[in-house]
Amino acid sequence: MAESRSCDEVLKAAFPSIVQKDEVQKEFSHFLVSKDLLPAITRYLHTQPGLHGRLTLLWAVDNRPTRNTYGLHYLFTLEPSHRWMLLSAELAGNDRLFPSITPHIHAAQWYEREIRDMFGLIPQGHPDLRRLVRHEHWPKGTHPLKKDFLWDHVLGRQQGEHHFRRIEGEGVFEVPVGPIHAGIIEPGHFRFSVAGEPIMQLELHHFWTHRGVEKLFEQQTLTAAVPLAERVSGDTTIGHSLAYCQAVESLLHLEVPRRGRYLRSLFLELERLHNHLGDVGAICNDTAYALPHAHCSRMKEQIMQLNDRLTGSRFLRGVTRVGGVAIDLTAAQLAEIVAEMDRIEQDFSELESIIAHNASLIDRLETTGVLTERTAWDHAVVGVVGRASGLDQDLRRDRPFAAYDELPVKVVNYRYGDVRARMRVRMDEIHESMRLVREVRLKIPQGPVAGEPSRVAQTGEWALSAVEGWRGEILYMVTAGENGTIQRCKVRDPSFVNWPAIQWAVIGNIIPDFPLINKSFNLSYAGNDL
Amino acid sequence: MSPIIQSLLLVTAQVIVLLTVSPFLVGLIRKVKARFQCRQGASVFQPYADIAKLFRKQPVISTTTSWIFPATPYILFASTLSAGLLVPTFISQTPLNFSGNIIALVYLLALGTFFLILAGLDAGSAFGGMGSSREAIVASLTEPAMILSIFAIALTAGSTNLSTIVHKTALLEGIATDPSPHLMALAALFIVALAETGRVPVDNPATHLELTMIHEAMVLEYSGRYLALIEWAAGLKLAVFLSLIANVFAPWGIATTLAPTAMGIGLLVYAVKIAGLAVLIGVLECMFAKLRLFRVTDLLGVAFILALLGLLFFYILRS
Repeated sequence: MAESRSCDEVLKAAFPSIVQKDEVQKEFSHFLVSKDLLPAITRYLHTQPGLHGRLTLLWAVDNRPTRNTYGLHYLFTLEPSHRWMLLSAELAGNDRLFPSITPHIHAAQWYEREIRDMFGLIPQGHPDLRRLVRHEHWPKGTHPLKKDFLWDHVLGRQQGEHHFRRIEGEGVFEVPVGPIHAGIIEPGHFRFSVAGEPIMQLELHHFWTHRGVEKLFEQQTLTAAVPLAERVSGDTTIGHSLAYCQAVESLLHLEVPRRGRYLRSLFLELERLHNHLGDVGAICNDTAYALPHAHCSRMKEQIMQLNDRLTGSRFLRGVTRVGGVAIDLTAAQLAEIVAEMDRIEQDFSELESIIAHNASLIDRLETTGVLTERTAWDHAVVGVVGRASGLDQDLRRDRPFAAYDELPVKVVNYRYGDVRARMRVRMDEIHESMRLVREVRLKIPQGPVAGEPSRVAQTGEWALSAVEGWRGEILYMVTAGENGTIQRCKVRDPSFVNWPAIQWAVIGNIIPDFPLINKSFNLSYAGNDL
Repeated sequence: MSPIIQSLLLVTAQVIVLLTVSPFLVGLIRKVKARFQCRQGASVFQPYADIAKLFRKQPVISTTTSWIFPATPYILFASTLSAGLLVPTFISQTPLNFSGNIIALVYLLALGTFFLILAGLDAGSAFGGMGSSREAIVASLTEPAMILSIFAIALTAGSTNLSTIVHKTALLEGIATDPSPHLMALAALFIVALAETGRVPVDNPATHLELTMIHEAMVLEYSGRYLALIEWAAGLKLAVFLSLIANVFAPWGIATTLAPTAMGIGLLVYAVKIAGLAVLIGVLECMFAKLRLFRVTDLLGVAFILALLGLLFFYILRS
């Protein structure tokens, strides 16, 4: 605590004009900043050795109905202490310009473009002001997250063309891939500039299936929006619903019973397991080595069937609820889970040694798609990808939630940042998750699994919450509206920050290795495009 | 029986054998791979159903293509089948042995590849172009290795006519006692066969990833009967290579006369040999990951050196 206080003091000493807000939330420092100071202060936070701030979330709020302002909020994680620091600025009246911090903090690039598309606020000095979420066929002036935009408004269509960055020269070709792919995957467009086979540049053009999730949240009540959160990214049911529920619980000052918190950890680990198992197999399959794929698919299926037996849903839908979890597990069920873990771990360890001893496979994985620690840090990469590039971060250890304060997690870390490192992180995390599941069974206390809310959130109150999903940090910011409604809900899937990083990881690799690199990142298209 | 009728009958028999056996080989490899992955897998006869289905489907042709695009499947199919008629299958006499030898075989196959490369470029899609350029690399590197390995055999048998080579080997006539040149050439030809037929570790026929494809990328634009012909031709090419390997290196059991019993035994032995080779390919595909694209040249370089060594060994051992 003393350390974090001193961080506040350092910042206040450097920028005397900023105001510290002493709000209810004691878990982070909150400063009010004038918008002109933003670039300088964020740069200071990001580069000052003692602070080492990583841009964690950047969101805007339309406050015009009540205060006639737009709010901008910059959340930083100070790496040495893992403490959050929030900077807030306001755009008053008709002011629609705000200074871009992207020139110094690359990680802000997509956030600022997203804010421009969703709110019509313009980041001045942003190096790339093309549309991101709003494709060019969206009519001019469509900014869905503004309060005066109706949620059921049917959009027209206009002519428009997206301009890709071009590299020109003799022998340089563009290879467009997608948004329709040969495999059963989500839509995404990749534009390669190649000289022969080596990739000179990759540009992503995603956001093909915008569902308006954040707008839909605003039509829901705080306690009823869990099913929506579960469906933000189909493979991350628990991760998203848990992050959402935690934010709502802190708005309602609701304490989750210990047993409920243990069960949340358990289900989160089960979700991590089936996704990581699938990924390890899929990475091998992309090198045409189908044997591990078949076995990993089987193990993944075993876990999904276990999920089904335990909860009635293969994807663990309907498990999380505000206040705790919706279902309790008996001692016999916990024993069944552990028995299944033992069976799978034995098979998986055997498969692991087969994989590790296959020279032809390892040759494909090593040195492929290297994301250096520097690039990963610059883009504030999170989760599995970050841990494979030497970023030592895991919310389960750094900001314990659910039962992780009582279940210490051994964080996996690899330095090389290649496809093999990303696969190794997943393999080690599979073992770690199984260990955690066993530990949950040993330590889980008796008692209720959910609490009931006793308080109604005041209009304008807001809360932040973070969960380490299987892909990485999932963040939710929920602002309460009148009568238990949601005024604003900012959702951030780890895919949103990791997608831009892939553009750097592929440079210099050859085109046939791209699917492998992409698979090793395995990012969500839906979670990215809300 | 007049020689002409006899020759016609042989041609018919060989065509029937090759056409029926080739989808089976593809199905067999898939089945082996499935069983190795603890999967049930589709029936070994699935490729027949696939081809029959494709023949019934309406083909779609891009408006930007030229005559090359619709002509290529027929050229490919015909050239591969003709190449098949130069290779002894169950009988050491090849139907077309009067008109061509090993060199004709190599270039009949190259003709099909050449047109396929053109067709890949024809539709103007990015994937087709990528597949074509990769296929051109692979084809240009397999060709010398293939020619040299076959020459190593031809030298031992004293003829470039496959019929004569097989016949002599089967009857153990005039074969050098040391098998080293043969073994070297066998290894080289096996690698060439994997590369030419688009198998792991050079290409992955089962992939859905357009960016990694070689052969499949070239034919992405094809549909309907055109695709059926191309798939069938790919199966034929596999059958041709497996027959070549089986009969040139281990011709024993092949019918050397036109007696019905000899032909019956020949047919049975042939079926067992190529099925064995197909199973071997299936097993290999389960054991290895695909090579990086630029490592393929190393592998084909190895094939070339092996073939060259086979050739050198022949002269060293003779003197």
